[in-house]
Amino acid sequence: MTKKAAKSIFWVGTLMSAGIFIWLTVDFHRQEPAYANTDRITEQVVAGKKVWHKYNCNDCHTILGFGGYYAPDMTKAYYRLGPNNIVAIVMEPEKVYKDSFRKMPKLGLTRREAEDLVEFLHWVADIENRHWPPQDEKYVRAARLREKEPHKLQKVDIVLGACGGCHSFENQGRDIAGDFGDIAKETQYDRDTLVRYILNPTSVNPDSGMPPQNVSPETAELIADFILGLK
Amino acid sequence: MTIRYESQKVALPYIQISLLLFLLQIAMGLWLAVNYAFTLPQWLVDAFSFATARAIHTNLLVAWLLLGFMGGAYFILPVECERELFSTKLAYIQLGLFVLAAVTAVVGFLFGWTQGKPLLEIPVPLDLVIVVAALIFIANVLLTVIGAKRRSVLQWMLVGGVVFLALLYLLGIPFYRSLNADYYYWWWVIHLWVEGAWELITASIVAFVILQVTGIERQVVEKWLYVETGLFLFTGIVGTGHHYYWIGSPDYWLWWGGIFSALEPIPIALMVVDTWLHVRRRRNTMVNRLTWIYIIGLAIYHFLGAGVWGFIHTLPPVNYYTHGSQITVSHGHMAFFGAYVLLNLTVFYYALPQFKSIRRYQEKLGQWGFWTMAVSMFFLCLVFGVAGILQTYLERFLDIGYSTAQMTMMFWFKAALFFGAIFLVGAVMTVYHLFTLRPAPEAAA
Repeated sequence: MTKKAAKSIFWVGTLMSAGIFIWLTVDFHRQEPAYANTDRITEQVVAGKKVWHKYNCNDCHTILGFGGYYAPDMTKAYYRLGPNNIVAIVMEPEKVYKDSFRKMPKLGLTRREAEDLVEFLHWVADIENRHWPPQDEKYVRAARLREKEPHKLQKVDIVLGACGGCHSFENQGRDIAGDFGDIAKETQYDRDTLVRYILNPTSVNPDSGMPPQNVSPETAELIADFILGLK
Repeated sequence: MTIRYESQKVALPYIQISLLLFLLQIAMGLWLAVNYAFTLPQWLVDAFSFATARAIHTNLLVAWLLLGFMGGAYFILPVECERELFSTKLAYIQLGLFVLAAVTAVVGFLFGWTQGKPLLEIPVPLDLVIVVAALIFIANVLLTVIGAKRRSVLQWMLVGGVVFLALLYLLGIPFYRSLNADYYYWWWVIHLWVEGAWELITASIVAFVILQVTGIERQVVEKWLYVETGLFLFTGIVGTGHHYYWIGSPDYWLWWGGIFSALEPIPIALMVVDTWLHVRRRRNTMVNRLTWIYIIGLAIYHFLGAGVWGFIHTLPPVNYYTHGSQITVSHGHMAFFGAYVLLNLTVFYYALPQFKSIRRYQEKLGQWGFWTMAVSMFFLCLVFGVAGILQTYLERFLDIGYSTAQMTMMFWFKAALFFGAIFLVGAVMTVYHLFTLRPAPEAAA
């Protein structure tokens, strides 16, 4: 090969690739509104994104799969945990993860910051990203069905979708607040009390660390039946 | 061998500071492994979080590699251009600014001063200091090359790489309202650095070292340089798309990203071939065996870490399961070690003896250092890989939940801590050896 040929390989290769890349970048911006719902980026979403940066969340948690691998991915966290749980976790991680094998630092967020963060995570969770991460798809599906067609849901889906962010059942979900099998054995509550507890835990037990759950009373009844049925 | 141009001496403090930051980076890495392997008390997590430690670990990596590249560039430019550097004073000012920014950044991280983007945590005011330092560097390199007594491909490749590197850094500075666009351009910095600009710079530096050490004809080396960097950029630029599969982007990225990034190992394989050919057809005798071991080790680990480990999880159907897992950690460590850590150390082993006018140095400790690092890094990446496969399989195939998967992985992080500690021992041996190079008795040659 002559040096001239080598030189043309360099220039042709580089310019061709750069050309394709720039063309695809232009198209990415053209299509971005459809994939990322950019029209739904409100000032609160932007404020939430600033909270996300301010506390350097991304060096422990991945989002869209990027960042630190030390803590769970946050892409679909809105559906996995629900807004109340997210607020409870980021404001009082030392309580939520008291017995966890891995701790989250107490960051000192204000309630306002926590709520902005929730709005940001809600927007992120609706990005059309080809159903990634795979392990959170069940929560996304369950959350959407819960909103629209609750009759189509299986009980176990509801329970895991709503509670799996903190409770486990038959090895599924995250066991930081107890397994439903154990809870069913130990609980003294009757059905009505359990329903009230799910909707507003401190109204039943002032010492409870569990945040109020974002589920309808009907769903709360379903969950209560499920748990009591495990006795 | 001794240095031929007085201004080459500015490279020395660059190299020395670079080596110290390297050791700090590894120490911080061990602390990260402790975080994974054990349950730490809440007060400790509050005082010094994993996030802060990770920011320090990765920023030190970038800082010491860049310092090494800059020192390396200043060391080779006078010889390559057959003239003194344009200004040594500027080079010292640049070093001062760069170190100031790096130290302030690390101290700032401890107090929560951060931009909050992984790898690009440095806050905007410090970014500006770095931009000034980068501009000084570009000016100094460019003005040296413009006044060169001899024109070469290598000089312009280096200039191109340096300018490309600085331009890309700018994309990481602004605030993006959309996370999706944020990460789109984040990869222009991260990916196009390591698979673009950095490859240009390091390929030119390696070409220079190979040229000098082997005595192969310049024409041959420069031809390989053109072809390899051309293929690096051809595959690497569109290959950026392998980071766009799951960020919310059009479907064609699966094809463009998948196909181009699958081709990325080709230029690296060529690099292995040409290194091997050049070493076999060398015209010079092998004076310092260790320097040659580094040149070959660099080619092999570069191929293994960036090429093979990268290829394994670059195709979309695989990446769907492995993305954002410890598999990436395994690949990241092996690739950075292979492509850039060994490159810097190769250059340091080439340059440092010359500051002391040593032709042949005693290399026993350096040999131990190299093999300890190379073997422990290999095992470290295997351990990360096992943790990654477990994580992927338990969490994403069997769907048994995050904490169960992570708790199972804790054992493997104890193993990672073990191999990391051995790596630190190897690195300490290497750095100590580089700081205290002594001439070997010539009779034994």
